[in-house]
Amino acid sequence: MNEMITPLKKKAERTAVLRKRESRRRTVWRNIDTYLLLVPGLLLLLLFKYIPMYGVVIAFQDYNIFDGISASEWVGLTQFRKLMHSSEFMQVFANTLLISIYKIVLLFPIPILIALLLNEIRFTAFKRTVQTIIYMPHFLSWVIISGLFMTILSPSDGLVNSVIQWFGGEPIKFFMDNSVFRSVVVFTAGWKEIGWNAIIFIAALAGIEQEQYEAASIDGASRLRQMWHISLPGLLPTIILMLILRLGIVLDAGTEQILTMYNPTVYESGDVIGTYVYRTGLGKMDYSFSTAVGLFNSVVGFILVVSGNWFSKRVLKRGIW
Amino acid sequence: MHIHKRTFSDWALDIFVYGFMIVLGLVTLLPIVHVFSKSVSSDWALVSGRVNLLPVGFQIDTLVNVITSHAFSRAFIISVIVTSVGTLLSILVTAITAYPLSKRHLPGISFIMVMFVFTMLFNGGLIPNYLLIRELHLINSLWSLILPAMISVFNMLVIKSYYEGLPEALEESARIDGARSYTILFRIILPLSMPVLATIALFYAVGFWNDYFSPMLYINDPALKTLQLHLRDVVMENDTANAINKSADDLMNMSPESIRAATVVASTVPILLVYPFLQKYFIKGVLIGSVKG
Repeated sequence: MNEMITPLKKKAERTAVLRKRESRRRTVWRNIDTYLLLVPGLLLLLLFKYIPMYGVVIAFQDYNIFDGISASEWVGLTQFRKLMHSSEFMQVFANTLLISIYKIVLLFPIPILIALLLNEIRFTAFKRTVQTIIYMPHFLSWVIISGLFMTILSPSDGLVNSVIQWFGGEPIKFFMDNSVFRSVVVFTAGWKEIGWNAIIFIAALAGIEQEQYEAASIDGASRLRQMWHISLPGLLPTIILMLILRLGIVLDAGTEQILTMYNPTVYESGDVIGTYVYRTGLGKMDYSFSTAVGLFNSVVGFILVVSGNWFSKRVLKRGIW
Repeated sequence: MHIHKRTFSDWALDIFVYGFMIVLGLVTLLPIVHVFSKSVSSDWALVSGRVNLLPVGFQIDTLVNVITSHAFSRAFIISVIVTSVGTLLSILVTAITAYPLSKRHLPGISFIMVMFVFTMLFNGGLIPNYLLIRELHLINSLWSLILPAMISVFNMLVIKSYYEGLPEALEESARIDGARSYTILFRIILPLSMPVLATIALFYAVGFWNDYFSPMLYINDPALKTLQLHLRDVVMENDTANAINKSADDLMNMSPESIRAATVVASTVPILLVYPFLQKYFIKGVLIGSVKG
């Protein structure tokens, strides 16, 4: 037995010593096959993520399609000055913040509530049916959802206006009325995603040890108290994580959604940064100005996530990275 | 067994919980049921505004006309092509890239990792992306819908953390036998990762199928319209004549409202049919992603 173990042991010791001596370069060379696997992914990353990042320099130019980036005239911060003095941009910025804040305040807590309540259901068939139904809208595209709601909210024969008229009210032109358009945007976003957004909280609840509930139950805690003192604290890390991630997309109030829902009559209340970039950039071919708006958007988003993460690390000792 | 007795507050909680869930379920289903009823109701019922929850004067001619129309079936096939090619390539590249990134002890890997994660926090924005696609001559090419979407860093992180959870001993024995990385990846790691790969493939597929923004930007050749673009024409631009490209006589018998409802239903049904079968996979996948990630 010994004769078999000793050579193996010696070999192991020798390789350990060798490993120590090995330079970084040799480690790389020895694992070159592993590094080579990165090639396709890195190429895609450089081409489709980093080259567009370089492309933001046209925000500091008066970009001209025929001259390209290299020959277009540099204009410094002119585009940004134009942006700050544009009342149209200020309106768009306000719309973006408003829609985003409504979405966070009204829609962020609901998935948490859904997860907490689903956790209380012991009747599995019922629970599974509810889950199947509420996850489903997540898989429908925004164009389909716009179609669904344009049908149900139609002023002439939609279900909602039929009910309003039945009660003696005036029909509401939901997609043409600046006073209700934002509500339509927030409600439909909720309809699509609140069920799906609950999944992560449901998963977190499933990770809480069942013994805690049993112990609390023996101590006489009601189920409401158990929700408050066990389930909710158990969810807290996930809630914070999701809030930080949410911060990063505050300036994306749902570009694709609004593009499929709005029309010129509701630009006043519904035009957000993403849709504005699309309209000024590709509609009016104002590439440089539109890139400046986009850059403003990216920078603010970046600052929000990084500072949110910093804050969370300092105060709560947890962060995304 | 339980010492705790059911109190009044427990009963109240149950009533609230079940009540809340029933209302939530109904609110979710209502728009779908309503549009379905409109798509199969007769025109006189639609025009007189009598269709609410249930179909009135049942007919499926509009639905059949929409599905068999040239515009719809062409857009449908293009979406199927983009989704299947895109999903296949994306899952392959993502699964391969995640493997070296899970070897954090290798020099330089953590820097490359930061390069990937940084793109989640910052991006060039719409116009630079558009100009790049134009420079690459990908306007009006279906590749413009596939290539930029091929690496989702978020999906890659989920796969990477799954790899990290696999026992290391599996790889070590293969390495001692002299296996190279690609052999280990394709023979050992990938077969063991099927649950997470299936979930991520589903996420990619849903992304490609539902993508509206990129085809709107990059595709203007009518022959290459995806299903979402076709839907936009019918739903937002009320281009119902083109939706079934029939003669004016045939159109007389179908109201735009009914064509619109039928087009929405025809595009929704395929998703609703496959969705219940996929559910168990994505729930498992989200669990993997959230527990480890």
